[in-house]
Amino acid sequence: MVTVHLEPDGEVIELANTKSVLAVLNRLKVRSTMVIVARDGELLTPDRKLHMGDTLLVRKVTSAG
Amino acid sequence: MKCSRCKKLACVALPSHNAGFCPECFPLFFTRQVETAIRREKMFTLDERILVALSGGKDSLALMLELKLQGYNVTGLHIDLGIPDSSWKARKKVEDFCEKNELQLQVFEMEKWGLPICDVKEFVDRPVCAVCGKLKRHIFNKVALEGGYDALATGHNLDDEVARLFANTLRWDTAYLSDQGPVLPASGGFVRKVKPLFRLSEFETANYAFLKGIEIHSDPCPYSSGASFTNHKQLWGELEYRSPGQKFQFYNGFLQRGKQAFAALEKEIGADVKPCEECGSPTSVGRCSICRIKESVATKKAAAQAGK
Repeated sequence: MVTVHLEPDGEVIELANTKSVLAVLNRLKVRSTMVIVARDGELLTPDRKLHMGDTLLVRKVTSAG
Repeated sequence: MKCSRCKKLACVALPSHNAGFCPECFPLFFTRQVETAIRREKMFTLDERILVALSGGKDSLALMLELKLQGYNVTGLHIDLGIPDSSWKARKKVEDFCEKNELQLQVFEMEKWGLPICDVKEFVDRPVCAVCGKLKRHIFNKVALEGGYDALATGHNLDDEVARLFANTLRWDTAYLSDQGPVLPASGGFVRKVKPLFRLSEFETANYAFLKGIEIHSDPCPYSSGASFTNHKQLWGELEYRSPGQKFQFYNGFLQRGKQAFAALEKEIGADVKPCEECGSPTSVGRCSICRIKESVATKKAAAQAGK
C-alpha cells in the first residue's frame, strides 16, 4: 500500500498495486508534468520505483487562481 | 532517469526539452532560462530598480528569489486583497518569505484603499476575477510609478501566457493580441512590464520552488471556482503531453509571426489613451473604470448599510 497526500486538496488516499510513480499518476488520472511528486522530501521522476509503505506528496502545479 | 548534465539520478523529467535534471543541476537550468529571457528580450539591467509583484504563489516567490540570486535590485509588492479567511494567509507567506531571504517588501492594503475584494464580489455585477485582475494591474502600475521603479516584474510563466494567448485568440481580441508578450515597454502613464519566467512552465517553477524550500501559498482563491483560465490550462496540459514542446512553439510562433499583424491593426483602430480625469491613470475613456468601480461600490455599500 502507498499513501498519497494530495495538495492543495488536502486529501489523503491509499493505493494498492502501484509499483512506480507513473502507476500512481495513472491511477490519479494526471499527467506527469501537471503535478510534482516527492517522497521523504525528494522529488521523483515518473520512472522511479515505489515500495510498500511509501508515503508520497502529489502537488498540483496549476495555479488555482 | 539520469541527469542530462551530470549523469546522477534525475529528480525532474522535462519531456519538452527531452532532458532530466538532478537537484543540483535543475536550478542551473532554471537560472539559464531566466537569464536568456532577460537578455534576449532586453527586460532590465543590473542598474535598474525592479518591483516584483508577489502573490505568495510559487511563481512570484520563485521569480523574486531567482532575481535576487542573479544580483538584481528587487523590491516585492504584495497586495492584501482583503478577502476574509484567505488574504491574511497569503500575506503571511509573503512576509515570512521576504524576512527569511532578506528581501525588501511593500504591502498595499485594499481595505485601507477603500475597496476590499469582498466588497467587489458583493456590490459589482461583473465576474469578480476580471475586476480583481483589473484592480491589481492598476495598483501595480500606480505603486511602480509612484516609487520610481524602472520595471514591474510579474511571475507569469509559459502556461499563463499560453492560456491567455489561447483565450485572446478564441475571441480574436485585437487589443489584447496586439500587446501580449514578455515585455510591454513603458508608455503613456504605464510602467514597463516584464515576465522573466515566460520560458518556464508551471511544472518547472513548481519544481524550483520545491527544491529551494520556498513555502508557498497554495490555497485556491475562494472566489475563483470555475475560472476559464484554469480550464484552458488543463486543455493545454493534455496537448503538451501528446506533443511535448507545443506550448512554447505556439507562444513563440505568435511572438515571431503573429503579434506584429495585430499591433499594426490596433494602431489603426485602437482607442487613444489619456489620463483619467479623476486619478490620472491612463484610460481610453474620460474617467477610468477603477474610479467608476470605486464610486459604484461606495454608493451601493452605503445604501445597503442604510437599509439594514
